[in-house]
Amino acid sequence: MKEILDGVINGFRLLFSLEPEVYGVIYLSLFVSLSSTIIAAILAIPTGIIIGTKEFFLKRSLVRSIYTMMSLPPVIVGLIVYLSISRKGPLGHLGLAFTPTAMVIAQAILVTPIITGILYNGTKEKGLEIKRVAKTLGANKLQTLILLIKELRFSIFTGIVSGFGRAISEVGAVMIVGGNIKGHTRVMTTTIAMLRSMGEYESAIAIGIVLLLLSFIINSILYHLQAD
Amino acid sequence: MELRIKDLTKLYDDKLILDIEDFYLPEKTFLGIIGPNGAGKSTLAKIVANIEDASTGEVLYNGSSFTAELSKDMTLVFQKPYLLLTTVYHNISYPLQLRKVAKEEIHRRVMEIMEEMEILHLKDQKAWTLSGGEAQKVALARGLILKPSLLVLDEFTANIDPASMLILEKSIQNYHAKYSPTIIMVTHNLQQVQRLCSHLAYMNKGEIVESGEVDEIILNSQNPITQKFISGEIVV
Repeated sequence: MKEILDGVINGFRLLFSLEPEVYGVIYLSLFVSLSSTIIAAILAIPTGIIIGTKEFFLKRSLVRSIYTMMSLPPVIVGLIVYLSISRKGPLGHLGLAFTPTAMVIAQAILVTPIITGILYNGTKEKGLEIKRVAKTLGANKLQTLILLIKELRFSIFTGIVSGFGRAISEVGAVMIVGGNIKGHTRVMTTTIAMLRSMGEYESAIAIGIVLLLLSFIINSILYHLQAD
Repeated sequence: MELRIKDLTKLYDDKLILDIEDFYLPEKTFLGIIGPNGAGKSTLAKIVANIEDASTGEVLYNGSSFTAELSKDMTLVFQKPYLLLTTVYHNISYPLQLRKVAKEEIHRRVMEIMEEMEILHLKDQKAWTLSGGEAQKVALARGLILKPSLLVLDEFTANIDPASMLILEKSIQNYHAKYSPTIIMVTHNLQQVQRLCSHLAYMNKGEIVESGEVDEIILNSQNPITQKFISGEIVV
């Protein structure tokens, strides 16, 4: 219990410690998680809306695959991305192994199905009705799409928050593709895992508190943005 | 707007649910469509409003096929309206925003129609907090603000209280008197047809079995199925 309490106090100390190493880790965590969430959202929002409003061959199989991918094990994704970008892999010539870019790619792969699945569900429920109303009021295709995005904003918000939550808390994939290199690919979750293995529980909890605080702040900003 | 329906059919899962050979509706007509459940009334309304596609045949609007330009001059009000997740004011102003009408003009027209439909007090209320009757008034106001030449109403007063129904009916009557649009109203309520419509079409099993002026059909129907429906018997 003492270790947890000390960890909480140290967490706040760390946040205001002005230590460049701590801020470097925080910055990289936010950069990787936000970048991957933004990339995933750009891919997933239109995809989820299209799947939710259109009928096409093999739609059911596609939806089932997306649902399955929503619970993709991060270590598997990390491993596949690593094998693809490692020196001997098909994308080895790009030199992405153990870089923040590789971490962004791995997390984007994890987050995209989550946002797609949530958007698909929201669109399936209301999308056709929204399209129908847009049509009766004389909206063109672009105006209908804008209306769909506006009306589905709660689903979009839920998808982005869930996707960001997955990205910021993820450790397996970023550990494999990033390698937890100090000052280069070390993020908060990999730092916590490393500190735990070193027996420094107090510091691990402190970083965990910082992680939670940042997550709270980002979610509050997103909530404020979607509120009407 | 004058309408002609030619060789129109609609199939759902290979089942024929609409089959109209030829039906003409002169402009400025207020047509009530009645008939039992499953007669194809709502499907016809949706096809006329271009919300659904016909399997074969077509609807001609002033002698021409449907165009995107035409969609700006017609609208459909559903039984269960979908209101946008915003205020009542923005719901009603939305179709005018789509047409890039000037802000001052939008404000003037929205206030005018809200006053006419007795919903001015709901102006800043969020749409999802409205009762069924209030929501339907907002949906109708949103449709009428476009001043469409063709208005399709699909059981628009079903499941709402009598007081709200009378306000909605009055608004429709005023609109028809003022702008003379063609109106197609799908309903189960024969009294409502008598109150509002100039013409009546009776549908059964996907076909228009009889049509004409309201009084002529009600007092002197030539079709035994229509006679049964009018006298309150159950038509299967």
